[in-house]
Amino acid sequence: MTKRILLGVAATALVIVAAYADFYVAPTERTMGLIQRIFYFHAATAWAGEMVFFVCFVANLMYVWKREQKYDWLGVTCAEVGVACITIVLITGPIWAKPVWGIYWTWDARLTSTFVLWLLYISYLLLRTLIEEPSRRALLSALFGIFAFLDVPLVFFSIRWWRTQHPAPVIMGGQGSGLDPTMKKVFYFNVLAMHIFCAFLIVERYILEKLRHDVDLLQREAEVQ
Amino acid sequence: MALFSNTATLLGKELRTEFRSRELLTTTSVFILIVLVLFSFATNPGTEEARQFAPGLLWLAILFASSLMFQSCFLREQVNDTLSSLRLAVSDPFAIFLAKLVANTLFLLLTEALMLPFFAIFYNISLWAQLPALSLVLFLGSVGIAIAGTAISAISAQARMRELLLPLLLLPLLTPVLVVSATVTGSLLDRDPVVQWKGIAFLGVFDLVFLTALWIFGQYFLEE
Amino acid sequence: MKNLDSVFAAYIVGWAVFFGFFLSIVRRTSALAAEVDRLKNSIRPKG
Repeated sequence: MTKRILLGVAATALVIVAAYADFYVAPTERTMGLIQRIFYFHAATAWAGEMVFFVCFVANLMYVWKREQKYDWLGVTCAEVGVACITIVLITGPIWAKPVWGIYWTWDARLTSTFVLWLLYISYLLLRTLIEEPSRRALLSALFGIFAFLDVPLVFFSIRWWRTQHPAPVIMGGQGSGLDPTMKKVFYFNVLAMHIFCAFLIVERYILEKLRHDVDLLQREAEVQ
Repeated sequence: MALFSNTATLLGKELRTEFRSRELLTTTSVFILIVLVLFSFATNPGTEEARQFAPGLLWLAILFASSLMFQSCFLREQVNDTLSSLRLAVSDPFAIFLAKLVANTLFLLLTEALMLPFFAIFYNISLWAQLPALSLVLFLGSVGIAIAGTAISAISAQARMRELLLPLLLLPLLTPVLVVSATVTGSLLDRDPVVQWKGIAFLGVFDLVFLTALWIFGQYFLEE
Repeated sequence: MKNLDSVFAAYIVGWAVFFGFFLSIVRRTSALAAEVDRLKNSIRPKG
């Protein structure tokens, strides 16, 4: 329990410091001005979300291979945390885009594949609610999760090569394209903070899933008596 | 090899079952026709802009039809629990998938063949000149749709709300196929037709990736 | 300052989503923990 609290406090402290750095440490961007500061939060959350989905993919593979419940719990946990992250990315992106480019959305590779990613894992979560038997639910959702994750790079490249128009508003601004060193440090600090924060959410959500399982077991035991 | 002979036998069963009643083919063909007609009401088929949208609408119609067509794929095996018999009959469960996959591709291609003349007439597009390349795109795209569709139908057959669940799971997975097929078809049906070999190769890669995934994981979809 | 409200909106929405998610976890966890205790107590006297 103490470790959990420690992780929670550390995660919260890191994100608060990161937010402070976003506003007071990072220099103001020349062309976009103040609005560019959304980038640190937005892009860091995107990176963390993608990492979380990768962990989900690994958990899905491990479940299909080992059939141990803990991998199923990890899978659904990462899917939910990942969806939360990508939801934030999809909301903060347009908030940033509108003042800068005058449009909320564009169908470029990154945005479109992010949106499809979100749809796929929402479907993953929905699928789980529609299968009652726990081991069947675990197996089928793991299989769908694997197919979904394999699909995402295909989605990205299909849009990149056949849909992205030139010149296109590069909504996220090339983060590699000559970022000021201070900006880079602030960004990577945000990335670290978001990863730790997601790890904290994963721990808490995983414990919830384990508790659910314990309740089921106890309920069955109570019925037997 | 046992896999291919098993697949051939099962494929024969799939085809015989369907051609006895032909209900899947007829209902799907009529459905695609209705979708095309609806698209004409929603757009303005005679105009130049409509010609630009036509390839996309063609592939949308195919996608919608497939999300209906694959419903029965594994559901019909639940009726008398024929799936258990199938599992016992084959040495490799992948044979079941392969057979259904080939059958589904065939059915899809048949409905597309039936639908294409209407598409050409409604949208005033000549398909003859580019027919070989067009057939290739239709084939590769349909294979991709069938692979994903067969896998997803195995999942949705074991869940509730399967009629809604299947399109929900399938359509996001197929976005690459839709994007690339529509674009390649579009450039084929253009005033100055161009064959986009990169796109055709991409469809091949998509098919290969999902076929491999199905080969590796297929047996788990059908577990007891 | 131009666009300050947009920046704030982004951060507020973002943290609202995370906070809401965390809150729902906490709520469900405490409900389940209570359920675990209740079930354990109902089993123990008979066991």
